[in-house]
Amino acid sequence: MIEIKNVSKSYVKNKKSIDSLNLEIKDGEIFGFLGPNGAGKTTTIRMITGILNADEGDILIDGNSITTNPLEAKKSIGFVPDSPDMFLRLKGIEYLNFMADVYDVPVEKRKAKIEELTKKFEIYDDLNSQIQSYSHGMRQKIVICGALLSEPKNWILDEPMTGLDPKSSFDLKEMMKEHAKSGKTVFFSTHVLEVAEKLCDRVGIVNKGKLVFVGTLAQMKEKFKDNGSLEELFLEITEE
Amino acid sequence: MKKVLELTKVFLKTSFSNMNSQMGIKTKNKIGIVALYIFLIVYLGGLIGIFSYNIIELLKTINQESIFIGLILLITIGFTLFQSIFSSINVLYFTKDSEYILPLPLKPSEIILSRTIVILVMEYFVEAMISLIPLILYGVLTGMGVMYYITMAIALILIPILPVVLISTIVMIVMSFSKLVRNKNKFQIVATIIVLIFSVAFGMLISSTNGEVTDEQMMQMIMQANSMVNLIDGYFPTLSTLITALTSTSVFEVIVAILETIGISVIALIIYLFIAEKIYLKGLVGNLFSGNSKKSKVDLNKNNFNNSKLYKSYVGKEFKILLRNPIFLMQCFIPAILIPILMIGIVALNFRGIPAEEFQEVTSLIPNNTIVVVSVILGIVQFFYMFSYISITAISRDGENAVFMKYVPVSLYKQYIYKIIPNFIMNIFTVIVTLAILQFILKMPIITLLIVFVISMIMNAFQSILMLVIDLKKPKLNWDSEYAVVKQNMNLMYPMLLSMVNIGILVLITIITNSLNVYIGSGIILVVYGLLTYFVNRYLYKNQVKLADNII
Ligand SMILES: Nc1ncnc2c1ncn2[C@@H]1O[C@H](COP(=O)(O)OP(=O)(O)OP(=O)(O)O)[C@@H](O)[C@H]1O
Ligand SMILES: [Mg+2]
Repeated sequence: MIEIKNVSKSYVKNKKSIDSLNLEIKDGEIFGFLGPNGAGKTTTIRMITGILNADEGDILIDGNSITTNPLEAKKSIGFVPDSPDMFLRLKGIEYLNFMADVYDVPVEKRKAKIEELTKKFEIYDDLNSQIQSYSHGMRQKIVICGALLSEPKNWILDEPMTGLDPKSSFDLKEMMKEHAKSGKTVFFSTHVLEVAEKLCDRVGIVNKGKLVFVGTLAQMKEKFKDNGSLEELFLEITEE
Repeated sequence: MKKVLELTKVFLKTSFSNMNSQMGIKTKNKIGIVALYIFLIVYLGGLIGIFSYNIIELLKTINQESIFIGLILLITIGFTLFQSIFSSINVLYFTKDSEYILPLPLKPSEIILSRTIVILVMEYFVEAMISLIPLILYGVLTGMGVMYYITMAIALILIPILPVVLISTIVMIVMSFSKLVRNKNKFQIVATIIVLIFSVAFGMLISSTNGEVTDEQMMQMIMQANSMVNLIDGYFPTLSTLITALTSTSVFEVIVAILETIGISVIALIIYLFIAEKIYLKGLVGNLFSGNSKKSKVDLNKNNFNNSKLYKSYVGKEFKILLRNPIFLMQCFIPAILIPILMIGIVALNFRGIPAEEFQEVTSLIPNNTIVVVSVILGIVQFFYMFSYISITAISRDGENAVFMKYVPVSLYKQYIYKIIPNFIMNIFTVIVTLAILQFILKMPIITLLIVFVISMIMNAFQSILMLVIDLKKPKLNWDSEYAVVKQNMNLMYPMLLSMVNIGILVLITIITNSLNVYIGSGIILVVYGLLTYFVNRYLYKNQVKLADNII
């Protein structure tokens, strides 16, 4: 469970990149975070994961505040950042082992997990090469594997579909569904409306740092009384 | 030509904007930093100036001052040759923007020309540091007229062209073969080590001619160097024409010489562009997009799962990244090993000439276990700490990936310490090598060695932690090539500065406690650095979260 309470953030003075954001993502829920470029999605995710400190408000991960109790909070997060170019000089297997050490995953479990995840994403055979030699999508996949090794309660992804081929994208969506089904939380940002439509239990739409809508897609359609496509709806909501 | 200029502007901006942003906006005490740079430049300029002044005055006594011009030009060419090995490999092959430049509708020659101009601009900075002051000083001391200064300006612009063109051609030829080399990374590392060995040899050569010299010896050396100038003249056509341009009194001769230099440089440039057009892109593409040739599979049952303690695996990760990246390897790792070894070379060369009895006389003059001996050795160790760049780049080396530290469930303080450990270990290595060499020469009592070792470890901890704090305060995370972190990084002067301050403190304590027992003096040093280490560590611990604010 992720609780975002009245959070604001400005990178530069007098320009709030996030303005009094309130959100609650419950256990067992897939939550899609939508919004145009520069809306504040990455900023929000950076605050949830502890990369940025909020100027005001607080964020709780399973009841642990990311500011006052960061280690406990971070333990229950698996995070996939928007750029997968990490540790390029490590081999895939070294990276995964390192992540397992960081998240304290016992040997037997990590062995099974690494095998399962990398085989599913078809990067098992590349584990012995440096990440540098991976394609963008492969890098995305190894980062996802690293984030899932510890079976985190809360899975947070920043634009995870970018660069994935249709099959991998499908697999990822299935994994998100499974994750939520077992009572865990998935929070991800995306630009792809169809993904949100097919996958999410609820969506939040953010524009210029403000949350302009939160609810199910059905609610969204109802609220805006628009019979047009999802795309038109989105454009209407995020317009001035 | 317009395209070339535009492109050059872009390249220059990307390679210098890093420096600016680091010096600019974020630093609150800007004046202090500027003052510091001014101080360093004045200091270096002063040293070079004094040195030049002495040589010119010396040459004046035999009415041969024009030899000085040849020497300075030779040194400038030497530096340019050496410097351009690094800058041309970096600028031509290791900049990230190549990926964006290649698809643009540009002729290869346009890309190469702009890149070459960038290299040249870098050389001009080096030149401004080392040759501007001596040449102006020469003009003043020998009462030259306006024409000399105009010629000098033209000469300074022309000098680096031939060396840069020469080195870049060699680099391109080597790089176009790098495609043939199976494993690109290993090739880069080998190439790196070769360059290093050359530079070490060069350093030894210089240092072997250094040391205590009388006027006669100096004169002799100058003459030797002058004969070297004459020797190289033949191989380096622009050297002799430029010497003529700067020393001749006939206007006509000067103009002819300048025109000749321009002519030679232009011809060289044309040949260079012609060759480059044929091989540059091939090598670049090979270098950018070479994959791993061998693909071996993991064996899940074979030890691929090690549940190590976190500190082991974290420090291991730091070491792996340092060792596998040729640029980091060369700048952060190898100096710690090579510089003390270089010292062996210097020592061996310098003591070679001294007869055994005399040598023993010298060493027996050194009173054994005194605070002076302890301080001097600590000072030498401090000198080597100047080159320990691991801690000062610990955060910056991660680049945009540095945010990783902030979202994993490991306390930031612990991660800081893990990042410091490689620096600490390399410094231990430096200390051991240094002590071993000194022991070999001086045969000190064990207790002195022990005192020095313990104190240098504390100073090692202090340096490692303080440098990390500085890197945290002013990280350089948006770089386009690893080279920017370990070369074009203003932070790198801090280890040097710290060592200088430390040496000052050591001298001070030595002066104060000189008449007292060695244990009292060492005790004071120990306490001072123990306290400093304690405080900087406490600062790091208390501010661990706030210090990470600059990492986004
Ligand atoms: N490091 C930074 N410094 C200053 N301003 C920033 C920084 N990062 C983001 N911003 C600003 O904050 C706002 C929100 O950016 P954010 O990256 O959160 O957008 P986003 O919704 O993730 O966009 P995208 O869909 O393009 O990823 C933007 O106006 C951006 O200019
Ligand atoms: Mg974003």
